[in-house]
Amino acid sequence: MPKISFTSALKRFFPDLKEEIQLPGSKVSEILKNLENKYPGITDYLVDEEGQLRKHINIFVDGQLIQDRRELSDVLKEEDEVLIFQALSGG
Amino acid sequence: MSFSKAELNRYARHFVLPEFGMEGQEKLKKSSVLVVGAGGLGCPLLLYLSAAGVGRIGIVDDDVVDESNLQRQVLYTVADLGKSKAETAKEKLLALNPHIQIDVYKERFVPDNALDLVSKYDIVADGTDNFPTRYLVNDACVLSDKINVYASIFRFEGQISVFNYLNGDGTRGPNYRDVFPDPPPPELVPNCAEGGVLGVLPGIIGSIQANEVIKVLTGIGEPLSGRLFLFDTADFSTRTLKIRKNPDLEIKDLSFYEEYCMPGRSHIKEMDVSALQKWMDDGEDFQLIDVREPYEYEVANMGGELIPLGEILQQADRVVRDKKVVIHCKTGVRSARAIEQLERQFGFSNLYNLKGGIEAWQKK
Repeated sequence: MPKISFTSALKRFFPDLKEEIQLPGSKVSEILKNLENKYPGITDYLVDEEGQLRKHINIFVDGQLIQDRRELSDVLKEEDEVLIFQALSGG
Repeated sequence: MSFSKAELNRYARHFVLPEFGMEGQEKLKKSSVLVVGAGGLGCPLLLYLSAAGVGRIGIVDDDVVDESNLQRQVLYTVADLGKSKAETAKEKLLALNPHIQIDVYKERFVPDNALDLVSKYDIVADGTDNFPTRYLVNDACVLSDKINVYASIFRFEGQISVFNYLNGDGTRGPNYRDVFPDPPPPELVPNCAEGGVLGVLPGIIGSIQANEVIKVLTGIGEPLSGRLFLFDTADFSTRTLKIRKNPDLEIKDLSFYEEYCMPGRSHIKEMDVSALQKWMDDGEDFQLIDVREPYEYEVANMGGELIPLGEILQQADRVVRDKKVVIHCKTGVRSARAIEQLERQFGFSNLYNLKGGIEAWQKK
């Protein structure tokens, strides 16, 4: 199962987030669906009403940016590491 | 280019560094860097770039030193409270290294001045503290073919990259919009004032940023282009992630800035130039204030009272409260900022922003 981790800024909104969890899913969109089951409300923060990735969020799979921000159709392998992170503005 | 005896002594540890040597030091001396923001990231960045001998450094910051800055902005002391950050920084940096030149811009980095400022320097380092300015720095650099050494921080985390890098084949590396295509709505992303920041974090991240600036200027090592470095100091995890250009992305001008990201602007009262003309025709009693710089005022003005944006809070007693006040600048961006500051700090409720500024007035 792919391993999912998060930028710690996300914990501000979801304090229960674990450092790393494993969730089933062969596409990024499926991972987000399963994530929602575990942490209700989190997908609202990550994607907009149309299901597109929000502008300040991005996802890396195995250290590479995903290609499809709109449908989240990037394919995942069992051993992939998925990092969900967000833009920071502080200076 | 030659070095004085004092410089030869000062840079001795660079000269003996095989990859650096006299050649690297000469490159630094010939270089210029624009540092946007003299805050948490800007302080270590400026200290190390100055100490290292970057020949000319521009500092853009319209802010003054506040007590809440001292927890991390290590250029400033208690004696500097209330003073201009850019001016204070210049004084300290020249005391550190008198062999360099520091240019001070006590203004905000806005569409009005962005391209002009960027054009005067070899590369840009982004140490700003808000999304609008970060996108503006990015876009101005892309439009001007300048490298943007980027860093940002929040709480315990930092992000760093070298954007718009000039590759050996003449192409440009990815930029900020390739990672985050557009700015988020402000309510979704907290800033450091709301979310907090560990004081030492900008010291770490700003120092890495300075290192990338020096690498780019001297050509030493592999710059952090096409990669985004994430550092979470809380659990000491680091990640270097690959980023790439989005072929569909095109930055044509700086117009997005007004449309997307003037935080808090929606509550500001605005009026257009024809409404202003009507007030004048009707003999309406109001005060007109121009928040541009004196040199701009000299070129052309609308007869308003001149209070440059950087002085608006100190001179707030010149803004009347018993009648309407119209505030303008060149295009309406700085005046919106002035109104925001006056409303927030002094609770004004009689201020109107002239949409399009003096430019729109002249075209009328």
